[in-house]
Amino acid sequence: MRHLYLLLFALLVSVSAQTSTPYITPELQRLIQSGGKSYSDTLLKQAADQALCSRYRNRLPPEVLGSFIEEQRKAIKYPADGRLMGDWKRGEAIYNTLARGNCFSCHVGSPLNIGGNVGPSLEKYGQRGTSEAIQRYTYEVIYNAWAYFPCTVMYRFGHNGLLKPEEIADVVAYLLDPASDFNTKPALRR
Amino acid sequence: MSRLWRLAAAALAFLALLAFAQEDDPYKEAEKQKRQLLEQSGVLPSDLFVEQGERLFKTKRGPKQASLEACDFGRGPGKLEGVVGRLPRYFFDTRRVEDLDSRIRTCMIQLQGFKPEEIRRSDVVAIAFYLASLSNERPVTVTPLMPQERALYALGEKLFYLRAGPRDMSCATCHVTYVGRRAGVLPYSDLLNDKRVASHWPAYRYSNDQAWTMADRIRACYSVLGMPAPDFYSEPIIALTLFLNAQARGGRMDLPGFIR
Repeated sequence: MRHLYLLLFALLVSVSAQTSTPYITPELQRLIQSGGKSYSDTLLKQAADQALCSRYRNRLPPEVLGSFIEEQRKAIKYPADGRLMGDWKRGEAIYNTLARGNCFSCHVGSPLNIGGNVGPSLEKYGQRGTSEAIQRYTYEVIYNAWAYFPCTVMYRFGHNGLLKPEEIADVVAYLLDPASDFNTKPALRR
Repeated sequence: MSRLWRLAAAALAFLALLAFAQEDDPYKEAEKQKRQLLEQSGVLPSDLFVEQGERLFKTKRGPKQASLEACDFGRGPGKLEGVVGRLPRYFFDTRRVEDLDSRIRTCMIQLQGFKPEEIRRSDVVAIAFYLASLSNERPVTVTPLMPQERALYALGEKLFYLRAGPRDMSCATCHVTYVGRRAGVLPYSDLLNDKRVASHWPAYRYSNDQAWTMADRIRACYSVLGMPAPDFYSEPIIALTLFLNAQARGGRMDLPGFIR
């Protein structure tokens, strides 16, 4: 039994040593610093999860995947009033604005902008209904896509503070509300 | 009869759509735009940059009143043909790896006596276009062999995959994982496998009438993704350029590039 504990401990130590190796080595740090202050201020602030995605080139190995997803999920916050579907009209503006949600750049589905194909098509996303489960899933993917798709390109809007929880709920409404233009009007595509 | 007419109208509309539609292949579309521009005005904007660069290169300028004709771009002083496809590389006089932009700057400092802060970016770009015109159709031969080159290449590769900033971005997130997909007008180019990508810089961008070198391209990539760009002539730019140009080894330079 003691051997088992020792083995477990050794395993834990080796895993944590592996995951805590910084991606930015001293040589890379010097290189980045020579790029100027604002550049290096941003890059050297690399978070541990960003470092893992960099190190494994966006394909996390099984031994880090579980704890990675768990950490991402733990950090998800919800609107103060608990409502995951807000105002679809406000969500429309966020979804279709380059400097805000910029969702249309990667996803097909908006009746206002031609969609891209980096992400999956969201055309008539509201067909999924408005159950608590689908609201929660949609909210959480927008809040932190890495909780479902580790290291994906989609911005972690809530996690990185790009959108407030209430704004994410507005986007959820734009996608799910049966009355939303997203579900009643045809999607624009190339 | 009316059905036939409708069919004919539909066919016509379809043909018109084809004629006005943009080419889906960005390379073919750029070729088309280049042809149209040449037919309209008889001269390409990139040719004007080349001419301006040649004048700047050959005129005696700066505190030392010297031209840049003795500048060594890696093939010896004054040997200019094909140099763009051989950069970045290590230079013994400055003891650093330099790309096209930083080598031009070095010569403006050493030969002409300019102070770094006096060097105008637009002059460097024009001179880069002139040198590009002398490297057209030459092969890309960038091969990190010197220890300094190998070290910088390795750092450039790490930088290429480094995710940071509020949008978790890196070069590779788009240009490796989503090659060929679109978030906007152009599909993401395949920086690791398509040798045409790195071999068309410096290039003229017809969509917004800009003359860009690889440094401008890299800086724009950072800015678009919400990250501050590295300074011109700085090591991160040279490291990324070395990494990218080495991927294009064996390709043929298409210079000055003409792109969207």
